[in-house]
Amino acid sequence: MTASKSAALPKKRKPLMSRIPADFVRAVLKGHSGLGLAFAAVIYIVCLSGTLSVFVDEFERWEDANAPVVESVSPEAVQSAYESAVARAGSGLEHVFITMPAGDLPRLRIQTDAEEDRIWFADTQGELVTESHGQWSTFIVALHENLHLPRTWGMFLVGLTGVALLSSLISGILAHPRIFRDAFHLRLGGSRRLQEADLHNRIGVWGLPFHVILSLSGAFLGLTTIIVGVLGMAVFEGDTAKIYALFQPSPPIDNPAAADPLDLLPMFAQLPDSGGHLTSIFMEHPTEQGGAALFNIRYDGALAAADSLAFDRSGELYYAKRAEDFTLGESILGSLGQLHFGWFGGGVIKIVYGLLGLGLTYLAAGGVNIWLARKRDQGRPAERWESIWDAFVWGQPLALTAAALSTVAAPGLAIDLAVMVWLGISLGSLAAAAALPAPTISRLGRGASGALLLLLALVHILLASGPDAVSWTIDLVLALAGAVLVASVFPFRRGRHTKHLPIGG
Amino acid sequence: MTDLAFLTISALILAGTGAAAWMLRRSWQAKAGNPQWRLAGWALLGACLILPAFALGEARGPFIALSLASVAALLVVASGYRLRERKSGRSSLAPEPAERLSTTWRGVLRWLLAGPVGMISAMGLGICYAVWVPGEPQTRLVVGGMIVPIAWGGAMAWTLADSRILRATTVLVGVAIFGFGASIMKGFT
Repeated sequence: MTASKSAALPKKRKPLMSRIPADFVRAVLKGHSGLGLAFAAVIYIVCLSGTLSVFVDEFERWEDANAPVVESVSPEAVQSAYESAVARAGSGLEHVFITMPAGDLPRLRIQTDAEEDRIWFADTQGELVTESHGQWSTFIVALHENLHLPRTWGMFLVGLTGVALLSSLISGILAHPRIFRDAFHLRLGGSRRLQEADLHNRIGVWGLPFHVILSLSGAFLGLTTIIVGVLGMAVFEGDTAKIYALFQPSPPIDNPAAADPLDLLPMFAQLPDSGGHLTSIFMEHPTEQGGAALFNIRYDGALAAADSLAFDRSGELYYAKRAEDFTLGESILGSLGQLHFGWFGGGVIKIVYGLLGLGLTYLAAGGVNIWLARKRDQGRPAERWESIWDAFVWGQPLALTAAALSTVAAPGLAIDLAVMVWLGISLGSLAAAAALPAPTISRLGRGASGALLLLLALVHILLASGPDAVSWTIDLVLALAGAVLVASVFPFRRGRHTKHLPIGG
Repeated sequence: MTDLAFLTISALILAGTGAAAWMLRRSWQAKAGNPQWRLAGWALLGACLILPAFALGEARGPFIALSLASVAALLVVASGYRLRERKSGRSSLAPEPAERLSTTWRGVLRWLLAGPVGMISAMGLGICYAVWVPGEPQTRLVVGGMIVPIAWGGAMAWTLADSRILRATTVLVGVAIFGFGASIMKGFT
């Protein structure tokens, strides 16, 4: 080709991401790799427990399958149920939290916060029918929110994990110059490293909106306490209450003189007929003269909108925050929890969040797998680390299933038992890494997790099943997951069919 | 809205975003790229993300669509998988992480920058926003609070990648001093 001809041809511009200098990509990849390795384990636990926490309402129905199903309830029944719960709460009653029946959790649930926390389920007449044994749902949510560490430190660590995940997303995109060229590649088999990288990158890129929402909201929620503390010190003279007062009703004037339980009926009578539905009632000091009740009303189709109405003991409305008056900040704040846990679109979005959450969990595990495969490709296999990582990854399903089994088999015992079981098996799995090679650990972990899931479903059906269809569905899912894991232990012969790579690849 | 109507709309979104991802893949498969399929794919994807705002709620609808779109796209990617013969020790064309010489103090400083220094710097930035930017106090506080993890995450990504560690130190310390100084000077009003 002559010079003149080549000059006449239009110059094809390289795609934006391909123009990133190679040295920059390698430097960012170094940081991405270091950060991923440092936080992989905690990201994996937080993501796995978070995926399960999406279904906390369903788990509550599963663990209390005999609780009465309540579609709707009268104010009189609520009053009766809560008074009965207060009578049984014991001394030192501080708060009562009533969860009204809703689509995902058709139960009338009353929680009393006294010297001992207790949760009751009532029927449509307001009779307390059964006490909750909700240890598993409490266990899994606490694991996700604070890793069962002291609350402030645990939430900070989880918030830091969210920041690390967000940072990994940023560096992951910057370190991926072939993001468009490889957008639809999924090459399985072949080189382990290529397979892991394809899975890691495809899940990472196509699930990116979900990953950003989750890591940002999680980091914000986890870091709130420390952000508010620093903000208070910097510009509110150390008074963080002034910050919270911008978002929450002020607490009622303290008057600890004993009184009858708050009468909710005059408060119910004042609730607006605005098309929303009452989701919860939070009572502060309900058996003191200074008692008050906060009613929360949500609206269908809204992500954040909720009315908050607070009444004092005399039934006088002293605080009202209507959804229509929300500022942008209040709307964002009100939507974060919904967006983080996928509680804004019913069962469909919960399932979607479950799938994408498993993908994000895999992202954490796969990142380390890529690093291990790279070392192996370089002729420097890190066999001890391969064993440790497989023991950790497959130890968690095993430990979580064992913790769930302990709550089903011994429902009256404290949640500490579940924590000890989870911790013991997690540490035991890691100890096994000292003696066993990675493939054996992987097979053992899958097989034991699968067998324990099958056992969990069986024990639940025998000891704690009830008429609730959701409970049976969960048992079925547990059994199926268990069967798949057990089946994965046995080798199968793969067919030699080969699909052709798309031309663009 | 009834459960059936919600399910129907969700199914339509899933199908629409799946079709959009399929069109994008058609364009990607063509050697020179196929602008018709690409444009149609992006247009359909945009429509599937925006239109649910009218049916499912102005904020809730797009977020439902966004979640479904990720699953639909991953299904399209998974449907085009390719099985290959198992190999080991294969060299890869993928970029390798940079090999850089490091000393203990540089390593410690790097992680201090990514951790506590980055956090303080990000907080200075977020609080400065909350203090100085006009608007409702709740909005300023929440947006300022959301800036913190974003800025901290960005700082983490930067400091762990940048080999010029003193430059990162200077910038982060400078941002922290400026952010907190400016915030304390004005106070929250």
